[in-house]
Amino acid sequence: MAKQSEKAASFNKNFKARTNRQHSLSFATCVHCGTCNDSCHYYLATGDPKMTPAAKMDKIRKIYKAQNDWLGKILPSWVGGGEIKSDNELEELKDIVFGSCTGCRRCTINCPFGVDTAILVGLARSCLVDEGVAPEGVLHVMKDQWEIGNQMGITPEEYIDTLEWIEEELQDELEDPEYKVPIDKKGADFVYVINPREIKYDPRPLQAAFKIFYIAGLNWTMGSVGWDNTNFGLFSGKADLGGHMGNLAYNHAKKLGVKQMVISECGHGLRSTKWEAPNWGKANPLPFEIISLLEVMVDLINSGKIILDPSRNQYPVTYHDPCNLSRSSGMTEEPRFCLKRSCIDFREMTPNRTDSYCCTGGGGAMSMTEYTPRRLEVAKLKADQIKETGAAICATACHNCVDGLSDLIKKYDLRYEYEDGKSKLVEVPNVCELVANAIVIPKEIRKTEKEIRDAVKGRTILVIDDEPDFVVFLQTLLEDSGFKVLKAGDGNTGLSIAKSKRPDLITLDISMPGKSGVQVYRELRSDDATGSIPVFIITGEVDFRQLMYQKTVQAPEGFLNKPIDKDLFLMTVNKILEKTIRNKHAN
Amino acid sequence: MADVEFNGETFPVDEDGFIMDFNLWSKNWVQHVKQEEGIDEMSEEHWKVIDILQDYYKKNGIAPMVRVLSKLTKFKLKHIYELFPSGPGKGACKMAGLPKPTGCV
Repeated sequence: MAKQSEKAASFNKNFKARTNRQHSLSFATCVHCGTCNDSCHYYLATGDPKMTPAAKMDKIRKIYKAQNDWLGKILPSWVGGGEIKSDNELEELKDIVFGSCTGCRRCTINCPFGVDTAILVGLARSCLVDEGVAPEGVLHVMKDQWEIGNQMGITPEEYIDTLEWIEEELQDELEDPEYKVPIDKKGADFVYVINPREIKYDPRPLQAAFKIFYIAGLNWTMGSVGWDNTNFGLFSGKADLGGHMGNLAYNHAKKLGVKQMVISECGHGLRSTKWEAPNWGKANPLPFEIISLLEVMVDLINSGKIILDPSRNQYPVTYHDPCNLSRSSGMTEEPRFCLKRSCIDFREMTPNRTDSYCCTGGGGAMSMTEYTPRRLEVAKLKADQIKETGAAICATACHNCVDGLSDLIKKYDLRYEYEDGKSKLVEVPNVCELVANAIVIPKEIRKTEKEIRDAVKGRTILVIDDEPDFVVFLQTLLEDSGFKVLKAGDGNTGLSIAKSKRPDLITLDISMPGKSGVQVYRELRSDDATGSIPVFIITGEVDFRQLMYQKTVQAPEGFLNKPIDKDLFLMTVNKILEKTIRNKHAN
Repeated sequence: MADVEFNGETFPVDEDGFIMDFNLWSKNWVQHVKQEEGIDEMSEEHWKVIDILQDYYKKNGIAPMVRVLSKLTKFKLKHIYELFPSGPGKGACKMAGLPKPTGCV
């Protein structure tokens, strides 16, 4: 065997160790029938036979053959096999797997055997990355994900600061000075996990999504950590980084106890977080469901929780199918449903759905400056496709596609002529931005919501508890939040204050000397004067729960175990009061 | 790597068209990117953004987040996009002579 360079030997060793059954299947079944040629945008745009998927994969396949094919092991040259020998060969391979394939899988869909080019590219990439033979941009981003937990090196302070900024922008837009972006909210139904690009460079889709959540009245939260849905484990083929990024998000979602994790419009973010990273990170089964923002929007439109006025998006809109959503996640109809409901003139580009051409920025290719000229050269195919639709707006549901498409639109000068004679470059928003633009804000609902929150302020709360320290603790919490507080150290005093002062809410301890909390609760409920006052049980005992299970008493409006969580306590107080006021409104 | 010639000045640029050396930035560079960006007329507000980006870059060695840019200029997000259609990263930073943002943008 010819001598191999140190890096080449290490590469070959890793390559052999990482080749699994899926890889072998795709390596071994290709018969070079040529069906894939017409599916690859690199080949279609350049006509260069070296750019056909089969030819590109042969550069990787030859290693497999030399290592695994029985004939290849004895007579590698007979089957065109051969391991990597030199550093130069590694560089050539880098150019193919990073610079000449975006892993969009259009060839896989069109292959009679389903040869998965993208996983073969991923295998080669992972081995190259380990030898440091990878584009600087990719290594940089991987480092940031390992060390800082997001791909753009955003610090926790910067992250929170940006969310607060969006909060202010939305307070203006929604005309609600009290609007808050929830962070680490306990008891939220879902956590929204995003692409760092939305924080660092373009928070417009973030603002759009928050607006939709607000108007639909959803109970959701942002996470203070594990909020990056992108995963350079997928792009670099490195499963260890993939698992790390997945687990950052999963572990925080578990801590928050959410029912769902909603992924913002990011193609590889959805694919990696939903389908790949649970395996990489050995995190299955997950105690929550992972869905896309697109699915949330479809549900909100269908259930009437948001009302859309398509006349607000009057210019022609087309949709680009991101490869990771259409081909790898089966999500083709949701974005169309949202766009058709929020725009007057929706036009399909051809081909579309699973047969869509790559945006050319695929899954992270935007981070590699050295390949930009080639990327833009082969982007002609996509540019022609968009031009044909005559659309003013090319919406898409992936941040990478937004940047890839924006680049090619500028390069090929794709414009739309507006009626005032001005022409502008075709715009590339996310789907949620068009939905948010079409949304009708129900004025009366907004007014009532604000009225209700105002009405909660200054309400009177009676605290019944025999521990003086605890009473002072609750009193401080409540008074700091603008409530008036009455105090009672035992059951009988509590009952008489409740009758005479008629507070808006009672917090009640169960375990007290003298009259027990359970007895106090029964008496409160059976007396007409106090029967309708909401009661919030705060206790260290579980007896009361048993009573409730046995249904001998009516359930209280709130229930919390000691020691209490401050935020959860205040949130419950507010929720109970808001609900009471809302019910009164309704009656 | 290539060179961009503009008004007799030469600027080495990377494949994404970002200037390779911040120190070579000049007003001619701005005129060049202006054309590319489709900005008709440079206003005082455009210059304010450029000045602030350059100051921040000189002090910190990185581009500021769009939040910081908005804070320092007191421009709303929407307005920054009106000024620079390609956005703060690929439009404004490019014009100010900063390197291409990292990550998939």
